[in-house]
This record gives sequence, structure tokens and C-alpha cells, in this order.
Amino acid sequence: MEPPHIARITQNPFHVLGLRPGCSRAELERAGQTLLDMLAVDMRDAREYMTPLGPRARTAELVRHAMAELREPTRRVVHELWASRDQAAAAPRQPRTSPLSDDDAERDGWHGGFRALGWRTP
Amino acid sequence: MTDALYVGIDLGTTNSAAAVFDGDRVESVRNSQGTALTPSLVRVDGSGRVTIGHRARRFLALDPTSVRGEFKRLMGTREQLDFPAAGLHRRPEELAAELLRSLRHDIETQIGVAPRCAVISVPALFELPQVAATREAATLAGFEVVELIQEPVASALASGWRADDSSGHWMVYDLGGGTFDVSLLETQGGFLNVVAHGGDNFLGGRDLDWAIVDWVLARMEAEHGVTLSREEPGDAPAIRRLKSAVEDVKIELSAAADASLLLPGFLPSGHLELTVTRADLERLCAPLIDRTVEICQRLLAEHRLRPADIERLVLVGGPTAMPLLRERVAARLGVPLQRELDPMTAVAHGAALYAASAGLDARPRAANDARGPAAKLWLRHPAVSADLKPHVVGKVTGAAQQGKGVPETIRLRRKDGRWESAWTDLNHEAGFIIGVELEPRRPNVFEVLARDPDGAPVPVQPDQLTIVQGMSLSDPPLSRRIGVALASDKVQVYFDRGEPLPARRTFRHHTVETVAAGSDDCLLKIPIVQGEFERAHLCRLVGTLEIRGRELKGTVPAGAPVELTLELDRGGNLSARALLPDIDQVFEEIAHLLVPEASHASLTASFSATERRLQAMRTRAFRGRLGEVIEQLDALVDTYKAVERDIAAAAGGDADAGLKARRTLLELDAQLERLEGQVEWPELKEEARWKLAWSSHWLEKYGNDHENRLFEEAAAGADRAEREQDAVELERQISMAYDLGFNAFLRDPEAWPALFENAAAEADRAHDLPRAHALVDEGRAAVRAGDRRKLERVVRKLWTLLPAEARQRQRAFQSGLR
Ligand SMILES: Nc1ncnc2c1ncn2[C@@H]1O[C@H](COP(=O)(O)OP(=O)(O)OP(=O)(O)O)[C@@H](O)[C@H]1O
Ligand SMILES: [Mg+2]
Repeated sequence: MEPPHIARITQNPFHVLGLRPGCSRAELERAGQTLLDMLAVDMRDAREYMTPLGPRARTAELVRHAMAELREPTRRVVHELWASRDQAAAAPRQPRTSPLSDDDAERDGWHGGFRALGWRTP
Repeated sequence: MTDALYVGIDLGTTNSAAAVFDGDRVESVRNSQGTALTPSLVRVDGSGRVTIGHRARRFLALDPTSVRGEFKRLMGTREQLDFPAAGLHRRPEELAAELLRSLRHDIETQIGVAPRCAVISVPALFELPQVAATREAATLAGFEVVELIQEPVASALASGWRADDSSGHWMVYDLGGGTFDVSLLETQGGFLNVVAHGGDNFLGGRDLDWAIVDWVLARMEAEHGVTLSREEPGDAPAIRRLKSAVEDVKIELSAAADASLLLPGFLPSGHLELTVTRADLERLCAPLIDRTVEICQRLLAEHRLRPADIERLVLVGGPTAMPLLRERVAARLGVPLQRELDPMTAVAHGAALYAASAGLDARPRAANDARGPAAKLWLRHPAVSADLKPHVVGKVTGAAQQGKGVPETIRLRRKDGRWESAWTDLNHEAGFIIGVELEPRRPNVFEVLARDPDGAPVPVQPDQLTIVQGMSLSDPPLSRRIGVALASDKVQVYFDRGEPLPARRTFRHHTVETVAAGSDDCLLKIPIVQGEFERAHLCRLVGTLEIRGRELKGTVPAGAPVELTLELDRGGNLSARALLPDIDQVFEEIAHLLVPEASHASLTASFSATERRLQAMRTRAFRGRLGEVIEQLDALVDTYKAVERDIAAAAGGDADAGLKARRTLLELDAQLERLEGQVEWPELKEEARWKLAWSSHWLEKYGNDHENRLFEEAAAGADRAEREQDAVELERQISMAYDLGFNAFLRDPEAWPALFENAAAEADRAHDLPRAHALVDEGRAAVRAGDRRKLERVVRKLWTLLPAEARQRQRAFQSGLR
């Protein structure tokens, strides 16, 4: 169990969902739903996420909790502050191979989320 | 079209209903009488035969003791309902199960198969034990998989699932037979978000009936000299008869200007005959309606919303069919009404829609498809999606993952032929993610196409999928906060309201006192509470995890860590797990999960305690010349009298009145608490000023930008709370500011030595004296050596040894945790 001051960084909803702080509500819902589905079919790529303190295991509970946190505007602000603070550390990341065709990512204009998940985007 | 069918059930206090959604249309299920509403009544005759609904209702007058209703209100209690003729007792969940079984049968008649799963609605303010009882009833009735949805959320779905993209706040006002729920929801790009619930578990159409009954009884006494009393068990059959006649009159008045109440042979002198007009009804019902409006206004105020911010007001429940209620609510609230919804079936319809969101197909699981060697796909996607471009996630399962006849690339094609995806190669795990495009507000069926490495088509199973585009609600949100009561009478919040289910959280606590292994007297209690109050004793105890000395492998000293995990499944079932790392032992048994009993003795005891408290407050308020507080105390007298009446009615055999009394007593306590806050307001303000100044001093010295920004926010919040005289909010904001300040203070080189001196001065009060003294010695050495890190560790350990206030602990359900 991570102590609270560490968990505050590693469990920041933006890291858990692989989203950037400015993302829209629709992006949030789609990212969350997609991650839950990926976890449900046991896709390896979804089982881990990147944080400033290294990779962490992603679970469905974490994803749901993160979604709830970001739906609540007052709580979201706080997470945004923290996430933008560690963004410098979180940005450079080793991309993984993409299960999603570039073409799709382009079309739905959802680069931020997938890039943050570590997927290749155009 | 799609084949899936989704079933929703509104298990009501008075009436129940079922609905089926086929992805396109929602339809009410008719019962054997051909109506959409089934009275929530169960009859057990002398030979033990069970009849339900309309057929049971027929016996209400003939053989009243064989018919039971309103069992929903007793769900989760230990209360049993008697059927004297059959010599049987039944638990409320067993009766609910009979009703559900009958509805399940009606559904089967309508759709041709017995539904395997369903969504059942529960009041938003149901507590965990009541929720658990509802699930049990569903299982008893033969449902394999059941999900629960809160009634107002279901109504909102029914009202808005095909609405055009709208963003704004909605209010759902649901006045049923026995409960009043009001909910604030927010829609944003087709996502339905629950903002908050309010309401009263003990306010509904039947209270209107009782108001009329009391009026009739008073007239009978005045005009005929006949006295009947609700507190007299011997009068119960007559009162029941009167109440049922009064209810008919009330319903008639929804359509007519006046109605007559006629009860042949009711009076010793003959018939009781009485004309009731709408004006009478309005006069009698106005106070109750106004109470509902006040609850709505309070909810709005709590969320800083004005009536003008409400875009849609949805009225549901039987009493909202009364024109006078609709007008009065709309006028007093100042919000226009939403009309197109049937107030009686909306909840069931919404539940069926939600079954689709949750992907709960009611049909029996298909037997393994025998159509040759198709590749098996594991598909995941939202069944209902607000997003116009959701993702479909899939994986090919089975042994061979490459080669001839094995899918290598996948395409989804919408059946209307107007959209298809690109061919998408499976990744290294044989998985894929494809973004699809939906036609708005209808079911979208997609074919799943696959090709092998040679480009030859490969049959796959399943070969199609459906996504309905419409308003969606992703996870059922928790409606009341759940936490653990600590010895300090504070609550460690595990799940906040709005938390999506399922959810699981772990926190580390420490024991307050030593629990000796093998001892029968030693007990570590972990009380689990539900409610929004900051202080544990005001929340509802919903379960206790008890760890007994005799079960322990080794003695657990005071201050030992306890890692507690609480888990809630989608239906709100709670489980708990406590790990004691020191002795490496796990405990999981929750001692009880019941709405606490409302026995006569316990009610009278807490009643007189509240009375004493009220008196004490009055004296204090008089001394302090606090006119406003005195006024508010006087306003509580009515509530207080109502409790007294309910306790008397409980003694007369009305179990529900007992529950209501206990609930009202809790509310009274909470109000007294608030008033105490007012009496202490000047002190609190003083303290707040001091803490803000202190925190700002240290933040100026050591705080970073981010902390200073949060501090500014908290200070502004405190300012607002002070202007609004909101003690609870003020405390909350101040403690946030103080935490920030304290954090900054800890960066000062002199901080830990100072904290150490404070703790050392208290060390003599520690539970474990030898250990405390050893720590003090260690600390002194650390101070001399200038070892700050060591000193910090010592102080933190010392803190865990210092005693919690005994009185607070007793109020906090004897919690053994800090
Ligand atoms: N047309 C009508 N006019 C006035 N009142 C009505 C009408 N029809 C039903 N009622 C009243 O509505 C109440 C029942 O409402 P409803 O069926 O919505 O409750 P319920 O769903 O069973 O209760 P709950 O939601 O509290 O579990 C009863 O008190 C009944 O007298
Ligand atoms: Mg209802």
C-alpha cells in the first residue's frame, strides 16, 4: 500500500486514464470506457500505466474511481494542479506498438489520450 | 433489429411495475388483469396459498389480516409479518420475493421467456441493509443476475434518454406511497450525472391518507361522539378500513372536484357518509406538499442553484397525479413542469433502459452455437453510449492464434451500410480496438467481419453487436457516503457519495487499545457508518466488523496498524476485510448488516435523552439571550411531538411508525447539533481567524505556489461560510487551510522539537506507559543529536499511543480504531 502523499501522485486520475489535464468530458468518458473494456478482455497494454514515479498496475477500480474524480469539477481542479506539476516528468515516454490504426486515431481527434497511453499517433 | 431484451422492475411500496426494452422501444408489462400496475400486496390464506396484486387486494376488506402490504418499508429489518390464519411469519424480503416472482411470470407471458436478469429500482436513500434485502428478494424470486438502480435516476433516464443533446440541471421529484425522493442531475453531452439526492424516507401518499384519516376521525368525534384511536390495537381493523376508503376518495379527487366517503355500518348508529372537496384536500395536504418543496429548495441551496437553473422538472409517483400538487409544487418552486411522462411507469421504464446500459440481456444464455468452426471473439463495448464514436474492444480467444483460417484482420460494418471501419490488424495479443460511428438516438447494429492472412473470410462468433445511442449512465453511483467511525467520533470516509460502483478502498488505521490474545472480554470494534455527517454518531451504523481476543493469534498492542479494506459491488453489497500485519491475520466477518431495531425501550430511552438535550440547550440559549436559537428550538417542538406520537403508534403495533420515530430522532439530534454550533459560533469564528492567521504565516515562509493557491481557495471558502453562518462548512474549509499551514510549519527546523515537547508532556496518559516513556527518552536523545528524521518518527509513534477521548469514543459506536 502506498502512503497517501505518494498515492496522490501515482494515482492521479490523469495518469490512471492517460489523459492530459485539459481534456474534455467526452474524452474522459471514452478513455475510461475503453480502458475498462480493455481490462475486461485482459489486454496487456491496459494493465499498466505510467506515472512520474514509474509504471503502476492499472485496475478497473482505479479507472472507475479516476473517472468519478474527474467528473466532479471541484475535485478535478485539484488533480489538474497536481498533474500539470508532474507533467514535465511524465511527458517523455517510450511508445508501445499501437493496437489502434493511426487512421482511427486521426479521425476521432483523440490524440492526447492515446499518446498518453503510450500508443503511436501520427 | 436486435434480439436482446432488457427488463426493468419498479418494486414500489404501494404499486409495482415492470417494463421491457428491446433496444428501440420501451413497453410496460401487463399483468394478468391487463394493467401495468400491480399493487404491492401479498395474501396468504388459511391453507398457505399465496396470491398477489389485484387478487390480494380484493381481500383487503373481507379478510384484512391475510393481506400484507408496505413491506418495502421494512426491508432490511428483523421485523416479521404475520399471517395469523395460516399461522405463518414472513420476512419482508420473502414477501417482496413473492411479488417479484409474480412480476417475473407476467414478463414471461409477455416476452415468451422467463427473464434471467433484471434491473430493480430502489429509493436513492435506501441504506446498505435495505439494498442487500432487495437483492436477496430478487434471488429468491429466481433472478440470476440483478442490478439495482436508484428510482430517480431511472426516472431521469426515462424522461431524457432520447432528448436532444442538452446540458443543464434536471430535478426529479418522486413522491410515492411511502417515500419522497428528490434528485438533482446534470446532463452534459448525453451523460447523465447524479449531483445529489435529498428526500425523506418517511413521506408519501400514505401520509396524505393519514392526514385525511385524522381529519375524518376528528369530525366523527365532533359530529357523532364516536372515538377511534390509531394508538389502540383494538381499533386497527376499523382504521384500516377507513384508510383504504379515504385513499380511494383522494384518488377520485385527482379527477373530480368532490367525492363522497361512504362506509356502510361504520358507526354504531349506521353509515358514515361525508363529502370531501378539493379544497378540503388541499388544506389537509398543503403542509405535506410544502415539506417536499422545502426539501427541494434545501437541495438547490446546498448546491448553490436557483430554480431558474433547473431546465427540467420531472414529476413521478402516484400523488403527482393530483392537479393541486402539480400546481403547488411548480408554483412554490418556480420551475415549469415536464409533462410527457407517465408518473406511474416511468421508474420501471428507466430501469429497463438501464438494463441495456449495463448490458443485462434478460434472455437465457444461448446454448453454444453449433454453426461450424467459427473463431470465438471476446467483445466489449458500451451497450448504450452517449458518445457518438465509442470504441469496440475485442480479442480472439482459443488456441491457434495465427495461420490459415485464423483471423488476422477485423472490420466492423454498420448494418445500414452507411459506415464501415478500416480493416484493422490484430495486435500481438490477438486484440483490437476499433472506433465506430453511431447514428444518434437509435440502436446501431454492426457486423463483425474477419479475414485470415490469405485474405480469406473467416466466420467469427459472435458475428454482430449492437450499440444503442442515447443518454447513458456508466456506473451506478453511491448515494450516501460510507466510512468507518473512529474513536475520536470522526469518520474516515471510504466512499463518497457519487462514487461509482463497484469500488474498493484500503486505509491504514491504528488500534486505540491493546487487545489481548485469548481474552473473551477484549474486543476490537470497527463500526461502518453511512451518512454525510462529519461526526460518526450522527451517521447510521450499517455494520460492524468485530475482532475478538479469543480469535487472535497474538496480542495486538495499542497503536498497532490495521489495514482495513471496504468493498462495494455494483449492487451496493458491502464487504470488509481487516488485516493485522503485526500478527499476519485477516478478519472478514461483518457482525451485522441490519437496520437497527426500533424497540420500544430503545426508542423511549433516546427520546428522553433528546428531551434532556433540548432542555439543556434552551437553558443555555436563554442565558446567552440567543433569541434566534430559542426560536429555532421552539420550531423543533412539532417534530418532537410527532416523534412522541409515532412512538405511541409503534407501541400500538405499527412497526413502520417505530422506524420513522427513530429516523426523526436522528434528525432532531442533527438539528440540535447545528444549533449547538450556533451557540458556539462566536468561539468557532475566533478559532477560525486564529487558525487562518497561523497557517498563512507558515505558508508565507515555507509554502510553494501550489499550496498557496489552495490556501487562497480555502480561505475564500471559509470567508463565504462565515458570511453564510455555515458552521460545518467553515470547519471543513478551516481544517483544509490548517492542514496546508501545518504542512508548511513542519518544514521549519524547530517544528518537530516543539511537537515532541507537546507530545512528551502528555505521555503519562498513554495506554502503553513503558513504551511511551521509552519513546520520550529516544526523542530526547534525538533532540540532543539534532536527528530530525528520527525525532519525527518518534513523535508520530507517540501520537498513536495517546488516548482518545472516552466520551467521544462511546458515541462513535465504541470504535477501536483511530
Ligand atoms: N390518481 C391518483 N391521485 C392521487 N394519488 C394517487 C393516485 N394514484 C395513486 N395515488 C397514490 O399514490 C401512492 C402510490 O404511489 P406510487 O405507486 O408511485 O408509490 P410507490 O412507487 O409504490 O412507492 P415508493 O416509490 O415510495 O416505493 C398511494 O399513496 C396512492 O394513494
Ligand atoms: Mg415509486
